[in-house]
Amino acid sequence: MTNRSLPRLGVGLAALVALALAAVPASAGQLKGTFGISAGSYFRMIYPAAAKSKSKYFSNPYSTDADKTYTLVTGGTDGGLRTGVLQPAPTPAFDAKGNSLAGRIIRPTSFTGIDFGLVTLGTAPSISVSAGRLSGQLVGFTAQWNKLSFKQGSSDVSGTYNAKTHAYVLTWTSVISGGPFNGFTGYWHLQGKFVS
Amino acid sequence: MLAGKPTRWAITALAVLGLALVAMPAAFQMFDRAPKGARMIADFRPYMTVARLSGYQTELRQIDAAVKEGGTSVAAQLSRSSSSFATRFPDFAQFERQWSAIYPDMSGMLTTIRRNVGNYEAVAALPSFTLFPWFFVIPGVIVLALLGLGIMRRARWRSVRWALVALGLALVLAPAVFQMFSRAPKGGRMMTAFKTIETSGRVARIQGYFGEIAAGQGAVALELIPALRRSGESAAEISTDYPGLTTFDAQWVHILNDMTPMIGAMSDNVANYQAVAALPPFALFPWFFVLPGLLVGGVAAGGGLRRLRRARDESSSDVLSSSTEGVI
Repeated sequence: MTNRSLPRLGVGLAALVALALAAVPASAGQLKGTFGISAGSYFRMIYPAAAKSKSKYFSNPYSTDADKTYTLVTGGTDGGLRTGVLQPAPTPAFDAKGNSLAGRIIRPTSFTGIDFGLVTLGTAPSISVSAGRLSGQLVGFTAQWNKLSFKQGSSDVSGTYNAKTHAYVLTWTSVISGGPFNGFTGYWHLQGKFVS
Repeated sequence: MLAGKPTRWAITALAVLGLALVAMPAAFQMFDRAPKGARMIADFRPYMTVARLSGYQTELRQIDAAVKEGGTSVAAQLSRSSSSFATRFPDFAQFERQWSAIYPDMSGMLTTIRRNVGNYEAVAALPSFTLFPWFFVIPGVIVLALLGLGIMRRARWRSVRWALVALGLALVLAPAVFQMFSRAPKGGRMMTAFKTIETSGRVARIQGYFGEIAAGQGAVALELIPALRRSGESAAEISTDYPGLTTFDAQWVHILNDMTPMIGAMSDNVANYQAVAALPPFALFPWFFVLPGLLVGGVAAGGGLRRLRRARDESSSDVLSSSTEGVI
């Protein structure tokens, strides 16, 4: 090997390393920070087929939306959902009437007359971006209402992300297992801006 | 007096009985089903009281009073005709129609549950369902162990037989000690009564009712009461003139607090109920102890009697012959 070929080899190796790094978007695209929850974010609850309800969606009369099957949510004291860390429930988690006091992710919101709040328990959320597409897991995402906790997370959330404006949309569904809403499906739609 | 050597038929019969006792829980899948029964009994405990069930019935009556009041005096106050009232307050009108089906169904269910409080208490007073498989396995293992001991050390067979007789007696007495003869049939009656309640279809229907009642309460709190206020009535006047409506509104959170966990308990125990229902009928349970007990005790007591008689006959004939020889 001549002295002149050494710089060429170095450039070639650097290019290979750059290509290899580009081929690993998941680790490169981890979004650690807060997914701010803004206007347009909502939750819907879908009846199980066996309930034979006339409506597909559970109607929440206390929703502030014109369509009562949409329960609108806005960011809490943390501004929204944080990735990489947990946002657990306070102590106590509920007041005497069963209203959730968990106000970090969303502002507790009335559902049939009792406020529900959101917490993350167990596994911290992780979301990554690749070519403007969001993916990740929110398995610890939990709704608290009426002195009860409902796992509403998913290992397969998806959405979109604009790297310039940091605007995002995240959606997922989660079937409730056990308890009074056994078999119902929660549909979650969060949107806002991501802040790292 | 029990004989000192085991007979072949007694050994065989005791081995079969011991193995049957050990195998019975597995045959009836008791190790899987019985703990589910224990969970069901534990989960139902907070709700299976006359006081709690009376509370639910009171809440249903409160909702019923509000619905009736809404469709009559409130409708008369707010609209000139029932059709215009329904047009103006479609959510309440829809709930009024739905309630006509919800009320008898829920009331009937609560009446059935309440009638079975005594039956539930009888079952709950039995030893934990989780222990049930072991009530068969442990005596079975003891029978086999004693049998093994008796075979290996024939000199101790007499003691072994006494122990087996005692074990059989314990099995016979166990149902009486645990009052199974009165409690188990009551459990059977509860299981029969809950057959139409603890089904996924019935639970789903009640979940649907929950959504309809919630929407109805929303119509009362967010539409009818504000409309009455707009018609010129003060909060105090509404409370006096429409006690049904205001009670339902005031009690709503309490009703939610009360009803939601009950629906949860019903939903969570559908599979547990099915598991218990798949067990042999409750009324037979005492006999699952008595019959093996009689057989174990009977075989242990009877096994070897012929040999004992033969031994006695032989010894008496020996005495006779020796005395005869002496005479001769």
